[in-house]
Amino acid sequence: MTARVARWTGIVLILAVVLIPIYWMVASSVKSNKEITQDNTLVPHSPTLQNYSNLFAEKDFGAYLTNSIVVTSVSVFVSLVLGSLGAYAIARFRLVFRLERRLGLALLTMRIVPAVVILIPVYLLILELDLLDTWLGLIVIYTAINVTFVVWMMESFFREIPVDLEEAAMVDGDTRLSAFRRIVVPLAAPGLVATAIFAIIVTYNEFLFALVITATPDSMTMPRGTATLIGRIDTDWASMSAAGVLGALPIVIFALFVQRHLVRGLTLGAVK
Amino acid sequence: MTFGRAPRERLQGAQLDRALPYFLLAPAVLVVLAVLVYPFVDGIQASTQFYRFGRPIKSVGLENYTDLWSDPQFRNALWVTVKFVTLAVALETVLGLALALFCARELRGIRFVRTTLIVPMVITPVVVGIVFRLIYATDAGMLTTVSEKLGGEPVQILSNPTKAFLGLVLLDVWEWTPLMFLILLAGIQSLPVEPSEAARVDGAGSWRTFLDHTLPMLRPVLAVAIVLRTIDAFGTFDQVFVLTRGGPGEATRLVSLYGYDTAFKFQQVGYAAAMFVTVGLIILAFALAAVRMLRRVETA
Repeated sequence: MTARVARWTGIVLILAVVLIPIYWMVASSVKSNKEITQDNTLVPHSPTLQNYSNLFAEKDFGAYLTNSIVVTSVSVFVSLVLGSLGAYAIARFRLVFRLERRLGLALLTMRIVPAVVILIPVYLLILELDLLDTWLGLIVIYTAINVTFVVWMMESFFREIPVDLEEAAMVDGDTRLSAFRRIVVPLAAPGLVATAIFAIIVTYNEFLFALVITATPDSMTMPRGTATLIGRIDTDWASMSAAGVLGALPIVIFALFVQRHLVRGLTLGAVK
Repeated sequence: MTFGRAPRERLQGAQLDRALPYFLLAPAVLVVLAVLVYPFVDGIQASTQFYRFGRPIKSVGLENYTDLWSDPQFRNALWVTVKFVTLAVALETVLGLALALFCARELRGIRFVRTTLIVPMVITPVVVGIVFRLIYATDAGMLTTVSEKLGGEPVQILSNPTKAFLGLVLLDVWEWTPLMFLILLAGIQSLPVEPSEAARVDGAGSWRTFLDHTLPMLRPVLAVAIVLRTIDAFGTFDQVFVLTRGGPGEATRLVSLYGYDTAFKFQQVGYAAAMFVTVGLIILAFALAAVRMLRRVETA
């Protein structure tokens, strides 16, 4: 009996710690600024969606959302294609300088080092290429960052697929590449999905490069656009809360939907 | 991972085209070289320049590096970062381990807990910053509201150096303890149960069993989790940018934020590049260690 009480107390405590902060943001997002700063209500007394419609009508959240979706989907797609081909090469062939063993680890090392250390030269590169404040500038950066991770993840997924299946297909007349497409890719589909999910979350959430590369609603992503609302003195709490909810909502829903596949990516393959 | 060699040799011997794998690899490698490696090397070059209005105007050799050592603001940023990382990762490890042990034995209700715990990790970090500003803020915050409901005063957190710093640590703990938990839970569930059970039969208490059996077996996983989290915490930027912008004063100014300000606010591009090269090399050392550990855990 006491063990049962202890367990449920523990569970309720965990849920409360995680969810109450989120509740507060959601509650603030349907209050007016007056209610937030003066009335001190714990539950909104007259909930309104005004803050949300203002984000679209008066700010540029429609554009931010579009930019985020375009930049995320293009860069994740391209990095999945490039990364999978590369991963297949190191999973199945023996290369010069034992690259097949070193390359994956080199890329993983790059993925682990926080991107902030190359912030300045990457900014200078994008400046030189004249890609500041464009989709393409962001896509180039995000593709490169994702490729490191895709190669690392997909290599281990490809290695889990028995070589015999491809060999059999090739004996039956497939070329190496058609065997890859017909046999390997379908078998690696769960791996591709897991990798894509993690890449989508990381890319959608990215802020640092978006902060220095983008400057107008032409290319600002959701996190970047949200940050424009954060004033230093006069803060529009209601809009900020609504922007926070709006910014996080797509990715949280997406993540909960696919949570089964999430853990391996989050732990960089350490947990299967 | 052991079956790799023999079949690979078979393929190599039997099949065509030695060039094919290089063609497959080339696009991925080129993108990474162009966008990540070249800039890093370029950053080393930039770190020896003096910039004005975003353009290099003269070469200053290693002066930017020597300046770093006598820059009290850089030293402070480094110190704040080390304090932040140590405190946050320590708390996350202890809490994550406790939670994992708590959940490892129970199955009912745990799925729900796991689902909930995913939320802090996947929420946009900028939004995590907003969530915590809405908790700490003096005029709009949850803590002030609760305090006034209980008849107290409005709270002052983000204007107090110590409290703001601890507030930032707490944010990180909220966001990343779930990751520790997930890694360690998987680690615990993959451990053999016999040694712990044998110990229990021999009359060892659960605390002794944990210290003598569970913890040593868990060590490799624990090490990977700690090192990965440490490296990641070193690069924390988004949350602190939203929560405090490094303030009050320099109380929460992490190295990442100081570097950003130096380059984009004070326009000292070369100096900031030197800062990031220095920090980058420190982190790289950690990362290499992390990769070796990951490999060991994978092959174990």
